[in-house]
Amino acid sequence: MKKQVFALAAALVVAAAGFATDVTAATYKIGVAGPMTGDQGKMGQDIHNGVKLAIQEWMAENPGHKVETVVGDDQHDPKQAVAVANKFVNEGVIGVIGHYNSSCSIPASTVYLEGNIVQITPASTNPTFTDRGMWNVFRVCGRDDQQGIVAAKFVADKGIKRIAILHDKTTYGQGLADAFRDALKKNHNMEPVFYGGITQGDKDFTAALTSVKAQNPEVLYFGGIYPEAGLLAKQAKDLGINARFMSGDGTIDPEFVKIAGKAAAEGSWLTFSPDIRNIPTAKASVEAYEKQFGPVGPYSIYSYVSAKILLEAVKATGAKSARDSKKIADHIRNTTWNTAYGTLKFDKKGDVTESPYVVYETRDGNFVQITGLNQQASK
Amino acid sequence: MPGAEHAAFAIFLQQLVNGITIGSVYALIALGYTMVYGIIELINFAHGEIYMIGAYLGIVLLSLLTAVGLADASLMLTMILVFAGAMLVCMMYGFTLEKVAYKPLRGAPRLAPLISALGMSIFLQSFVFLAQGARPKVFPHLFSGVGFDLAGARVTYIQVFILVVSIVLMIILNYFIRRTKTGKAMRATAQDRRMAALVGINVDRVISTTFVIGSLLAAVAGVMVAMYYGFVDYFIGFQAGLKAFTAAVLGGIGNIPGAMLGGMLLGLIEAFGAGYISSEYKDVFAFSILVLVLIFRPAGLLGEQTPQKV
Repeated sequence: MKKQVFALAAALVVAAAGFATDVTAATYKIGVAGPMTGDQGKMGQDIHNGVKLAIQEWMAENPGHKVETVVGDDQHDPKQAVAVANKFVNEGVIGVIGHYNSSCSIPASTVYLEGNIVQITPASTNPTFTDRGMWNVFRVCGRDDQQGIVAAKFVADKGIKRIAILHDKTTYGQGLADAFRDALKKNHNMEPVFYGGITQGDKDFTAALTSVKAQNPEVLYFGGIYPEAGLLAKQAKDLGINARFMSGDGTIDPEFVKIAGKAAAEGSWLTFSPDIRNIPTAKASVEAYEKQFGPVGPYSIYSYVSAKILLEAVKATGAKSARDSKKIADHIRNTTWNTAYGTLKFDKKGDVTESPYVVYETRDGNFVQITGLNQQASK
Repeated sequence: MPGAEHAAFAIFLQQLVNGITIGSVYALIALGYTMVYGIIELINFAHGEIYMIGAYLGIVLLSLLTAVGLADASLMLTMILVFAGAMLVCMMYGFTLEKVAYKPLRGAPRLAPLISALGMSIFLQSFVFLAQGARPKVFPHLFSGVGFDLAGARVTYIQVFILVVSIVLMIILNYFIRRTKTGKAMRATAQDRRMAALVGINVDRVISTTFVIGSLLAAVAGVMVAMYYGFVDYFIGFQAGLKAFTAAVLGGIGNIPGAMLGGMLLGLIEAFGAGYISSEYKDVFAFSILVLVLIFRPAGLLGEQTPQKV
């Protein structure tokens, strides 16, 4: 009996202590969503690490405030993404950094809208994400249509005529492929010699590639992510297709080279934002990141920047919970942000006003930036 | 324009090669499904995972043997050891699987072992996920790219290897089932388990043998696929299992030549469907065939029309 009383008293003290800290400093929960496990698990971990770094730095600058993360693993499955979103709403997060795949970000954003929560995606590039006129969505990376324009201009400038396009039928992959095809047609009056889809998760693409081979293309463009991209590049080479492989930001990962093999990956063109290591403003953040988590991934610093923006907006508006989300969103939209990627401004839809894409070439297993920002299409 | 005709033929031939390669893999896995079904009328959904484990073992063993320097000394010996090791371990998995998940449910209603099979499938998948990590594993690019041209179609040596190994294994299996004593016991058990027990056949041992042989074939398929695609992740078993199951039903579940035919046909249907109609609907072709077969010939192409077994 005595023991129980003691336990009760102890519990009360702990509870009281809990209240006390609540009064002196605010505790915020941030949702971090992405594919944390599975074949795209690294991308989710990159996002999580970027957010972790941002929180550490921000908490050091703002003593007394406490930020916690709630991690949601969407397993790049749209259904799972909605479940994660509902979990975040129930947990009372003040904002969400994520998701990675457009096919997850888009359905999840509807849940966040209903739950009155701001969502900043560091990686989803499909235009639909911000094109639906929702107040709660932001994106710090570029959009597929901009990526498509850059890729189309690049191949057109090279005088390439025969282009085959494949995509993985996902929101992101097909969106990217469509943006590329549309830009080819609109800006350069070119039609692809082949256009078709493959299935994400499949391993054998020889049937589709044989049809591609029949058209004898100079460039094989793929809208999709690195596991399929690697296998496609490899199987294309095995089939004797001499086209240069070209893809977008979902492919720019060392795993692509590993899966394809150095020989098959060699010379591939990939569109992505400029190398973070070449951006002077990002130097300190990159160093801090690599010290803790190892080499920066393609979206690590975007995630870091997203979390910083969210936290600063929360602080500036004095928001206490997701009920103040509209204020947070307005603040994000009306502020010019000094970030690792330089000054960022958001437009009405939630896209960054300037989103640079450049072309990389795979050389000896490394991605080398071969165009500068000045070569970006004027659109 | 004879050039165009020739090119069209080359494409046809290429799709044929593509289809036969993947079809042989489907056939090897389908044999495991069909043999088990033939004997205990259970669809062993964990069979795809045995194949996945085989693929992983291929990578693990090859890395191990490369690390000790054997791969540089003799690639041939290394590959023999890799195959032997993967087969051995997968046989143990198959044996244990049957003892743990199905044998205790021998007398239970048919739904119980089916659920147990699904559970084992999830268990094995999660086990490999935890043990090997979420990132896909890459098989060293030892064999990719090398091949020859056959009337305009590109054939890699590994494709030839897959076809030859599959055919040899199927011939051996056929011989085993038709000519050996154990094979006879298996056929007897498939016909009537109780009667087989009455005439002195050790039914439990026959069932174990069936699982072990099925797992051996799946292990070979797994290692070959790992070599062919150079890429393995922990959920390859699910899709391959589904396709192989379709192949088994297509050929007539419980029927061994049927599984071989079904596997090959499925590979060809996928390749030609994807190549000539639309690559986006590759899986739709495969599963539409399944639906058509189930409607018009529920016992499968080579299955006997035995209503009491269906």
